[in-house]
Amino acid sequence: MAGRRTLSAAPVLLAVTFGVFALAALSPFDPVKAYAGTAGLTASQAELDQLRINLGVDRPLVARWWDWLTSALTGDLGTSAVMRQPVADVIAERVGWSALLAACAFTAAVLAGTVLGVLAARRTGGPLDRTVSALAYTLEAAPAFWLALLAIWFFSVRLGALPSGGLTDAGSDTVTFAQVASHLVLPALVLGVSQLPWFFLYVRQGVADALAEDPVRGARARGLAERRVLLGHALRSGMLPMLTLIGSRVPELITGALLVETVFSWPGVAAATVQAATSVDFPLLAALTVLATGAVLAGNLLSDLLYGLADPRVGFDG
Amino acid sequence: MAEQVWRTRGGARRSTRTLRVRACAAVMAVVVLAVLVVPPLAQLDQQAVDLAAKLQPPSWAHPFGTDDVGRDLLLRCVHGLRVSLLVGLVAALVATVIGTAVGAAAGALGGWADRIAMRVVDTLSAIPHLLLGIFVVAVFRPGLWPVVASVAVTHWLSTARIVRAEVLSLRGRPYVDAAVSGGASRWRVAVRHLVPGILPQAGLAAVLMIPHAMWHESALSFLGLGLPAHQASLGNLVQGARGSLLAGHWWPTLFPGLLLIVPTLAIAGLAGAWRDRLNPRRRSELTL
Amino acid sequence: MTARTVRGAARVALAGALITGVAACSAPAGGAGGAAGADSVVVAAATEPDSLSPLLGYGKDGNSKIFDGLLTRDADMKLKPALAQALPEVSADGRTYSFTLRRGVKFSDGAPFSAKDVVFTYRTILAAGTNNPSKTELDAIETVEAKGEDTVVFTLKYPYAPFAERTVLPIAPEHIAGKQDVNSGDFTTHPVGTGPYVLTGWSKGEKLSFKANPHHWGGEPAVKKFTMAVIKDDDVRATRLRSGELDGAILPPNLAEGFAKDTARRTYAAKTFDYRTVTLPTHHEVTGDLAVRRALDIAVDRTAMVDKLLDGAGKPAFGPVPTDSPWFAAGTERRHDLDRARRILDDAGWKAGADGIRTKDGVRASFPLWYTSGDKIRQDHALAFASDAKKAGIEVRTEAGTWEVIEPRMKTEAVLAGGGSPADPDFDQYLLLTSSHGGDGFNNMAWYDDPAVDAALAEGRRSADPAVRKAAYDTVQRRLADNPGYVFLTHIDHLYVVNDKWDGLGTQVEPHDHGLGAGPWWNVETWKPKQK
Repeated sequence: MAGRRTLSAAPVLLAVTFGVFALAALSPFDPVKAYAGTAGLTASQAELDQLRINLGVDRPLVARWWDWLTSALTGDLGTSAVMRQPVADVIAERVGWSALLAACAFTAAVLAGTVLGVLAARRTGGPLDRTVSALAYTLEAAPAFWLALLAIWFFSVRLGALPSGGLTDAGSDTVTFAQVASHLVLPALVLGVSQLPWFFLYVRQGVADALAEDPVRGARARGLAERRVLLGHALRSGMLPMLTLIGSRVPELITGALLVETVFSWPGVAAATVQAATSVDFPLLAALTVLATGAVLAGNLLSDLLYGLADPRVGFDG
Repeated sequence: MAEQVWRTRGGARRSTRTLRVRACAAVMAVVVLAVLVVPPLAQLDQQAVDLAAKLQPPSWAHPFGTDDVGRDLLLRCVHGLRVSLLVGLVAALVATVIGTAVGAAAGALGGWADRIAMRVVDTLSAIPHLLLGIFVVAVFRPGLWPVVASVAVTHWLSTARIVRAEVLSLRGRPYVDAAVSGGASRWRVAVRHLVPGILPQAGLAAVLMIPHAMWHESALSFLGLGLPAHQASLGNLVQGARGSLLAGHWWPTLFPGLLLIVPTLAIAGLAGAWRDRLNPRRRSELTL
Repeated sequence: MTARTVRGAARVALAGALITGVAACSAPAGGAGGAAGADSVVVAAATEPDSLSPLLGYGKDGNSKIFDGLLTRDADMKLKPALAQALPEVSADGRTYSFTLRRGVKFSDGAPFSAKDVVFTYRTILAAGTNNPSKTELDAIETVEAKGEDTVVFTLKYPYAPFAERTVLPIAPEHIAGKQDVNSGDFTTHPVGTGPYVLTGWSKGEKLSFKANPHHWGGEPAVKKFTMAVIKDDDVRATRLRSGELDGAILPPNLAEGFAKDTARRTYAAKTFDYRTVTLPTHHEVTGDLAVRRALDIAVDRTAMVDKLLDGAGKPAFGPVPTDSPWFAAGTERRHDLDRARRILDDAGWKAGADGIRTKDGVRASFPLWYTSGDKIRQDHALAFASDAKKAGIEVRTEAGTWEVIEPRMKTEAVLAGGGSPADPDFDQYLLLTSSHGGDGFNNMAWYDDPAVDAALAEGRRSADPAVRKAAYDTVQRRLADNPGYVFLTHIDHLYVVNDKWDGLGTQVEPHDHGLGAGPWWNVETWKPKQK
């Protein structure tokens, strides 16, 4: 099954790249103006025309797509107009920071979600359950960018406790652990909090279901300690489905990262995506869209894999 | 972002549930009334700049305060909510029509058509919604209709899947088989048996999509890829308030955000009640 | 491998990932490092250059840090020699400029600087294949030639009085830049120049780092390390300045206000030529109408805009020249007078309709006004302008877009534009107001067309006589008051807050584009640590 998934990913990626170029061809935007930028204000028409020829933007769609695809396979993704840098370099520089942020946020969300979920499931309908559930619904409805702004306002402006953006302090030339860690806290917190409700609700439901199942009720009836029942049986059966579904949360994570990285000016690929979009930088936008698609497909694959591990009935039939 | 409404267990809390549904309905009624009635009745210019009255905290004259060029925030929030709701409604409607058509066609025709349709759905699902939306809006210019289009084209996938599954399960039912073998025309079977089976599912998916679409619009606007910055929309209001927030003026940020949360919760609550009644035993495939 | 061991391995891996993740998240918050010694300066700007190659336009107005021009400007904007030994010798017909170069100057890689580098720089910029969007500024050049190692001669197509002002343009090394693609070569991000600083790192979107060039011909700077952080968001800049991470930053007025009482920091308000204006397209039936133009010009409340939108950090603008410049034509100030604006419209036959908007001969007094999306200052100016116009019975429909959207509409739709160049009145006025530049890219966006202005502008750029030039630019400003094809709103001061740790700070008069070269750090190479 996993193997089949991998095979089917290739045509999906291919279709996505072509779709990206087809949409781009319909665009009314002019990359020449984007390139000229503010200096374009003093540029004359003749210069803009020359710039257009130099940038090669007038060639047909399929030719541009084919060129892009063949050179992409050799690792050349073109040059980003907005970053003035090869796209491959932009991605290489940034993808690690995005992964770090996502990993921290995910970890925080999984841990907090599990703990809260188990506590809430112990007494469904109890005061703790109702409070946390209500909070979870509210958080789920609250846009991540709004939460991010409120977090900056509270932690950076009111308390002055945490830096409000960037990767390191501007004056330091080296990227030190302490610097990155302090700059990471707020974005990871907000991204984690925006992912938390799903994990919490899933664990809560899973554990509550498990608690109602016969073996668990039997264990309780036999007088097993509550803690062992909860951690040994219920959590196990409640958490497994969640862990297998972590991979399928990649799209939501990317969505959250697009907003959070932008608000905190985190130098990751998601912030670069937004920049590429606002300045209509096709090479960069195309590459990052494909990259995100790849991440989603990889997440699905991981999901399948973990599902197979968790549930022996699903074999690895390749 | 998933607007999930979770099954509550047992009947002991049925009364609280009714209460909650009533509260949700009341909130939605107020919201809808406000956005329908206030803009046409109050002949106020939401863009009216009053430089002398900039950044005033909430008061009786301005219940939500004023922004950094002295515009009344309550008025702008109502206008913003109106735009967001409109985008949500229209986008959900368009997405539902596309999704139902594709899903029904795929399920009913089967074979190649089904395979191609589902391959397209798979491909599009592999791109995160907001990213695809950003792409669509970036490529065409930001504005009301590109935003609606970008939300609509990214949201029909789940509806298509639901409707297709529903069609497939209905096709297998004995009474449909009986009708077909009894000589009824395809159309007749579709209209008599399939449509009533599909519509509630599609309708529920559409309602659940509205808050998601509103959220989508505000996220695009916030990123500078939605409506023009001076036009009131909840995302624009939050974006425009960033400067004021850090200078200590909290009200221009707080209220638009709350106005996004409240209708979302209310709609989710209502849809949840509807789903419980419609189909008490299913939940997973309705998550968006 | 059995399913069980795979599962076990996965569990271990997951646990490992969780632990490292938690460790990274919970590490103690680092203290504010950054700005420490007096020989290190960290400042923040809102924008960064697209490229660091002078061949693509970087540093064209001087103060490029990495490079030097033939000439440079002092604090009073007077030209003085840099890579040239002295100011140029100009021939009697004003068409030949000869520069004698400073001897013994070396690029930071140790290679000697000579006349061929100057010739290379100017010729490359003017070459068709070079993507330099501001090459119009060097339009007057016919040829540039080296006479031996240390003399460069420019021949112009026509006499051009302010030409010397253009030669602050930085000089690139031919032995490096000449060997690569001018538009995308390594030189665009790893520049080498003769300037007081050497680039040590450029992390795009984050910061540029420089260290002092110990072999600079002007002496080694006292500030050894100079960092320019790129922080787009005003609020983030203010927060980081307050936390001590930055030594200085450009701030909008409302945020600079927060540092007014801070004794450890000083606020510098740079005078500028940076104007915001509304174009009134000649080819639109409403904005092309003289009565509408004159009414709008006095219906706008410029003082309120300066006081509230700019928190006082600016001046009302009545033309491209700010009121405190010696080039300003006294008496061209216009008072805010709504009643007179209404009278002008009434007299011209623009009658108010039921909704308060005027019409004349079936034409509704209504037009769109575009501002660039994401530009808060322009957005606010546009909204205030629209509100003021509405009081006079003219409907202005605000629209936002990127330049790609706006540019094709500029012929008939109004734009909230900005500009301003302090070095010479010719620099911005000629391209902004000459009728032949109507619709030429971003020049003369309103297609302004006034024969008297055309004649005066031509005279102003050719004459070398200061009195003749002053009279010519006075004429331009008077005509602009009678026939306002642009409604100038404000000149915007640029505010900078800087730690009070150095001597020698001040600001130049700044242009519209204020990147690396503007701000109190325009001359950071001459700053000296304060004696305690």
